[in-house]
Amino acid sequence: MKLRENIAFWFIGISFIGCQSMKEISLYGSSESQSGYDSFEPKIIFTDSQQDGVWGMKNTPCKTIHYDTIHSFYGKDHLHIQWKQTSDCKYLGMGFKWGNYKGKNLLPIMKDCAIEMMIRVDEGKFTKIPMFFGLTDYSGKQCMSKINILDIEGGFIDTTWRKVLIPLPSFNHEKKEVNLANIKELRLEFQREGDIHIDRIRIVPHDHNFKKTNTRFTKIFKEHPIQIGQGREYWWGVNSLYSTSFSFNDESIHERIYANISEKDWKEFGFGVYKWHRADISEIASSSAISFILDAKEMPKIQTTLVAYTGPKRRIQKTLNTSNYIQINDSSYQICIPLKSFAEFENFHWNTLKEIRFKIIEGSQFEMGDFKIIEFRGNPKKPNQWIRL
Amino acid sequence: MDKIVNITLLGVFLTFVNPLIAQVSQVEIRKESKTGYRLYKDGQPYYIKGAGAKSQFGLLAKSGANSIRVWSTNNEAFLDSAQHYDMTVCLGLYVRPERTGMDYNDDYAVKGQIEQLKTEILKYKDHPALLIWGIGNEVDLRYSNFKVWETIEELAQFIKKVDPNHPTMTVIAGVDPSKLYMIKKHCPSIDILGVNVYGSIENAGLNIRRYNWEKPYIVTEWGVNGPFEAKTTSWKAKIEPPNGIKAKQRRRRYEDLIYPDMEKCFGSYCFLWGQKQESTATWHGMFLPNGKPTEAVDVMQYCWTGKWPGSRAPSIQDISIEGKNWQKEHRLAPSTSTTLTIEYEKYNNQDIEINYRLFPEAFTNKIGGDRQESPEEISFQITKKSDNGITFTSPSKKGAYRIFAYIKNDKEQYSVANLPFLVE
Repeated sequence: MKLRENIAFWFIGISFIGCQSMKEISLYGSSESQSGYDSFEPKIIFTDSQQDGVWGMKNTPCKTIHYDTIHSFYGKDHLHIQWKQTSDCKYLGMGFKWGNYKGKNLLPIMKDCAIEMMIRVDEGKFTKIPMFFGLTDYSGKQCMSKINILDIEGGFIDTTWRKVLIPLPSFNHEKKEVNLANIKELRLEFQREGDIHIDRIRIVPHDHNFKKTNTRFTKIFKEHPIQIGQGREYWWGVNSLYSTSFSFNDESIHERIYANISEKDWKEFGFGVYKWHRADISEIASSSAISFILDAKEMPKIQTTLVAYTGPKRRIQKTLNTSNYIQINDSSYQICIPLKSFAEFENFHWNTLKEIRFKIIEGSQFEMGDFKIIEFRGNPKKPNQWIRL
Repeated sequence: MDKIVNITLLGVFLTFVNPLIAQVSQVEIRKESKTGYRLYKDGQPYYIKGAGAKSQFGLLAKSGANSIRVWSTNNEAFLDSAQHYDMTVCLGLYVRPERTGMDYNDDYAVKGQIEQLKTEILKYKDHPALLIWGIGNEVDLRYSNFKVWETIEELAQFIKKVDPNHPTMTVIAGVDPSKLYMIKKHCPSIDILGVNVYGSIENAGLNIRRYNWEKPYIVTEWGVNGPFEAKTTSWKAKIEPPNGIKAKQRRRRYEDLIYPDMEKCFGSYCFLWGQKQESTATWHGMFLPNGKPTEAVDVMQYCWTGKWPGSRAPSIQDISIEGKNWQKEHRLAPSTSTTLTIEYEKYNNQDIEINYRLFPEAFTNKIGGDRQESPEEISFQITKKSDNGITFTSPSKKGAYRIFAYIKNDKEQYSVANLPFLVE
């Protein structure tokens, strides 16, 4: 019995000490950000008509805003906003003077706070409201955000007061270059049609657990040679279900296709330069050429087209001539097409290269493959001379 | 006793619940050959004779259409109205394109959009008029972030889970090998490819095959060549063909390109059964801003039924200023007497009326059918009027203008043509 009492005593004692030494965990992230929130004074944006200033209350045929005293969530009254956008309305919006227009520094609270408000409607059930929230700085720049279903209490707005959060990180302040250290006001802007009640708008701590990545889908190439055309899934124009013009040579390490073109069959094929992402060869484009091997008894007449994702000139073409062919043996040629030899080389966005396509203008039987972008520093009009060197 | 209760409950279930279930269309895709597919609705083959439409559903059904396409879920009345006229709906889920400011690297925005659209899917999945889900419209237009396809796939997967009755489709602008690769790789839950093709309709069927798309497709927007494909004047005004030329183009495209491709094409939605400003007020719309039909409506009836309507709109074939037709540039001096002539087919109309209206040129940099503002009409002086033209005084103020000729019959069926001109 005594032993049991001892164990119990020590268990309670250790537990007590353990509790005392437990670290205090903030519900809203780091203690540093907590202090950011704590020291941020103008937490209240709107409570009621007596406490906080609002502009844009003037009613128009497109918009009416009034203080409604019936069924408020907090304070003496709340805002009832009704709007219907027509071509007569140039601007549908309103603003909160928020701390009587005193410049507010949101930087310390930007990462882990949100604007919280209570919203209800008179009838129906909505998952989105066509309204936008703007933070305006003292130079007039404004960043925007909107209601996200993920931060609507219960996932929808209906006739009961529901908490809605607009996380501060969701504002596009970087893109709009808004000075978050000197925010003047909060604006609401409306689109289409709506009828809502809003009450108690304030800043609250909020854990915004969403990432913004920087995925670009661009592959940068800075060195030669670049093996291209690898992977059949990135090719088009080779489809035996509909055409016998082109087929892959299964024995080749690098993709090679065999052409056997009849008069009315397909005459074009192509491939994504790098997995259909943007290939950025801008640093080496001026000293580059497309190269491939062509096996044929008679030289086919081929037109090459380069396609970019963006730019004023998204397609540039070149029809190959004898200077592009360097004979390797009786029936084998190396083809070299300097990029500078394409018309409008300068207007092509070499940082968004998408695709290379080939059109067979004349010729029926040949094999081509081992596509590369190689270094080329010769005369673009006489590539065969450079290759021979 | 238990058995009797069970049978009674089953009876109650069948009496009250089954009719509701039966109203939901069972839409399925069947593979009918090595490369061919067919769409079935409630067990019957279903070929889509459709239009992108938000109004005039009665006339649409009367003209022989059986389906409408809408671009978003913001108006349930479209589905109810389509059902009223015994038509189906290709229901668009509005996936925000990157060009409108959507950032597909922003998880918060992406997940919020997906969750919001899931509520729409649950709301409409059992609507009797629903035929196909259109997940996104032209999200690929001038995009750079391919992650948008993950959103499309997540929505398609969700539909597969909650709605086995309706196929999934995503709609792209034009036919391009990179886009088809992306959809094939990243969106395996997409059943049908939707293609919005205007000038590029000429090779759409061929390119879909060349670019290795193996599943079926629908021509989700088609019509005349768009403003983005049109020739422009040296002052960047788009040159729009007269209604008569456009009508012939529509008919040829339907008869030669869309309808013959029964192997993979489930049908089409012509653009646009309604009116909108896209460079001009008359470019794509088959109706005028006053709600009256143009000859494009007659052409679609012919395409869908093989018969012309009893009353046909007249048809403007050509419009000229000082003898130079619509394909040429027109430059005028300020406040100068100018002759405009039109050539038209009267068809079986006894009485026709011709009117002319002048507008400032509506330059725009909007793309992809994004909303454009209509310009304000300008008053101008007509000094002489004949059966096939007018003499008018050019504006005194220098600038770019566009003059419209409207011809209508006594049933208020119209044909329209316009010419841009520069006062310098």
